[in-house]
Amino acid sequence: MNIVVLMKQVPDTYAERKLQAGDNTLDRDASDAVINEIDEYAIEEGLLLKEAHGGEVTILTMGPDRATESIRKALSMGADKGVHVLDDALHGSCAITTAKVLAKALGTVEYDLVIAGSEATDSRLSIVPALVSEALGVAQLSGARKVTVDGSTVTIERTTDTGFDRVEGAVPAVVSVVEKINEPRYPSFKGIMAAKSKPVTTLSLSDLGLSPDEVGLVASTTTVESYEEAPPRAAGTIVKDEGNGGAAIAEYLASRKLI
Amino acid sequence: MDFSLTEEERQTRDWVRTFVQREIQPLEQQALRRERAGEPGVTTEEFAALRSKARHSGFWGIQTPEEYGGMGLSAVMTALIEVELGRSFVPFRFGGSADNILFHANEDQQKQYLVPTIEGERISCFAITEPGAGSDATAIKTTARKDGSDWIIKGEKTFITGGNEADFSMVFAITDPDKGVQGGVTCFLVDRDMGWKSEYIDTMGEWGPAALIFDDVRVPDRNVLGEVGEGFTLAMQWIGRGRYLLPARALGACERLVEMAIEHARNRVTFGEPIAERQAIQWMIADSAVEIEALRWLALSAAWQVDRGLDSRQAQSMAKLFGGVKANEIVDRMMQIHGGMGYTRELPIERWYRELRLLRIYEGTDEIQRRTIARNLLKGHVSVRGALG
Ligand SMILES: Cc1cc2nc3c(=O)[nH]c(=O)nc-3n(C[C@H](O)[C@H](O)[C@H](O)COP(=O)(O)OP(=O)(O)OC[C@H]3O[C@@H](n4cnc5c(N)ncnc54)[C@H](O)[C@@H]3O)c2cc1C
Ligand SMILES: Cc1cc2nc3c(=O)[nH]c(=O)nc-3n(C[C@H](O)[C@H](O)[C@H](O)COP(=O)(O)OP(=O)(O)OC[C@H]3O[C@@H](n4cnc5c(N)ncnc54)[C@H](O)[C@@H]3O)c2cc1C
Repeated sequence: MNIVVLMKQVPDTYAERKLQAGDNTLDRDASDAVINEIDEYAIEEGLLLKEAHGGEVTILTMGPDRATESIRKALSMGADKGVHVLDDALHGSCAITTAKVLAKALGTVEYDLVIAGSEATDSRLSIVPALVSEALGVAQLSGARKVTVDGSTVTIERTTDTGFDRVEGAVPAVVSVVEKINEPRYPSFKGIMAAKSKPVTTLSLSDLGLSPDEVGLVASTTTVESYEEAPPRAAGTIVKDEGNGGAAIAEYLASRKLI
Repeated sequence: MDFSLTEEERQTRDWVRTFVQREIQPLEQQALRRERAGEPGVTTEEFAALRSKARHSGFWGIQTPEEYGGMGLSAVMTALIEVELGRSFVPFRFGGSADNILFHANEDQQKQYLVPTIEGERISCFAITEPGAGSDATAIKTTARKDGSDWIIKGEKTFITGGNEADFSMVFAITDPDKGVQGGVTCFLVDRDMGWKSEYIDTMGEWGPAALIFDDVRVPDRNVLGEVGEGFTLAMQWIGRGRYLLPARALGACERLVEMAIEHARNRVTFGEPIAERQAIQWMIADSAVEIEALRWLALSAAWQVDRGLDSRQAQSMAKLFGGVKANEIVDRMMQIHGGMGYTRELPIERWYRELRLLRIYEGTDEIQRRTIARNLLKGHVSVRGALG
């Protein structure tokens, strides 16, 4: 079974994140870049499925030059090869364009299953997996805490407020996973040494048959008009319990429209 | 001149960085709490579990040759790893290593001492220092006299790291008083159950070394490590095994301390402004950052010289000296930036303050490093132009 994992490189969540003056896009050079955390779970799930069913795991990413570092890391965890969509014109692409590009790139590899994370920690739209499945015309199974594949059927457990839904679809399909699904492995030292010799294909827009005016800031369906720094945290409110503590807290929450 | 890392070096370094972030730093609050209560911050079992987790990913025996199951990494790589480990005060080390001089052991001794030490089944300690012989190791008084096919060791060692836990020690004793250090000192592998005792020495740090008492301890001839009379050469080899690693570890601590201080300076407001706006604070941060950078390249260049097979002793002494002095200045400044909070045991700063002080004393004091550095220059062994000539 061949699996493609959609992996996004994001600024380290530990680091302070900044927008670039000029086009209000994320300043990706301002901080350390890491694999989007949930995507590590997606990679792990891909590796587990490969260990159970055979086949290959391919890492697909669209991102700037330094995203190769994250591809190498995924390869050192045990993935077999990488595909990197790299083109200056992609800067500022919206979610819809990102999904269009990823779907085009998926057309260059063989896959039975596409596994994605459920949310990227930088822009947190949680929509790319759905858009990719739409663009490919295949089933989307989202929010998986468990994935099983049996022949041409993929089944997931999707966590709900009260338990879980069992969702079934035909392969090929796009599955997005949540953190409950597994515990991502550390790369092994041998894996790190082996990663260098694993193939990484770089694809430009023209390789995908796309033109620069279809992507990037120019084609973006949404734009960040302006932004403000988050206000500094205000001092907390201390509610003293003088027999009416419960009511006072409820009153406070109601005043903030939280209840 | 290329200062960059290869992709593998970066990934290996980042692996350790992630391991420290995810596995070790989360233990810090608990470690501080336990230490405040007078308990060990991290238990032996917890350390063993961490080591076995790392081993599972192949991080085991960083510098141990591959034929012994280790990674056989270069000195530069080891220094880079040491920096990452230094970013926590939790004294974690990877498993799978043994003292360099144990690799000189003969086949039987390797089975009995080297291999089990690598596996973590046995714990060694290195014992040369005595109450009357520290910086001047040539002044040791412990003797070993021949009795049939045995040796009888008598004397006292002190400040021996690991001496409380060790089940065998590498002991240096005089076997030929006429020759002294010129062929009269021998190294013995002595099991604890051959009869030596240890006494804990309480220190300023969170751990203490031991005094070892040898009261006519009988040791069979087969437990001589290397050749009779060649002990002092082995001792010098042990001490020179990786002096660049001590400042590398301190460097990691300094990075973390400066990061903590930057964070604190941004948030702490006095007289209506964050203290980060004050020049007095900025200068402390700037000086520390410059010294950290200088230390990084001093330690890495010493390691690079080791990898190249060059005579790295001068560079190692310089890195050790500079690291000890600067780490102590930096931790002091970072405590200052933290004000009263820095002095409390809620934060790890005072702990580092106490721990880093040792760096100026053991494995060659500041003064002894300076003595070595100056003598090498005065005698014309090395040039002030350094490794590049
Ligand atoms: C500062 C900033 C400025 C932005 N500016 C604009 C703008 O001007 N106009 C606009 O429309 N959008 C903008 N975006 C949104 C940006 O384009 C999104 O990052 C992108 O569309 C993906 O959406 P997401 O990150 O929310 O992914 P999600 O949908 O949250 O990601 C879910 C999963 O999809 C996969 N995935 C997502 N992206 C990739 C990728 N690149 N390669 C491989 N897999 C991927 C991963 O598996 C991930 O876990 C901006 C974002 C930021 C942070
Ligand atoms: C925690 C700890 C762990 C240790 N672990 C070990 C271990 O595992 N194994 C082991 O064998 N030893 C160990 N030691 C011993 C350590 O190496 C010695 O303490 C160190 O070499 C200094 O020796 P000393 O304490 O006798 O000081 P001294 O040699 O008495 O020095 C006292 C002072 O005089 C200075 N001085 C000495 N000679 C000169 C000179 N010629 N010129 C100028 N100044 C001079 C010194 O720099 C120092 O400031 C450890 C020590 C400590 C504190």
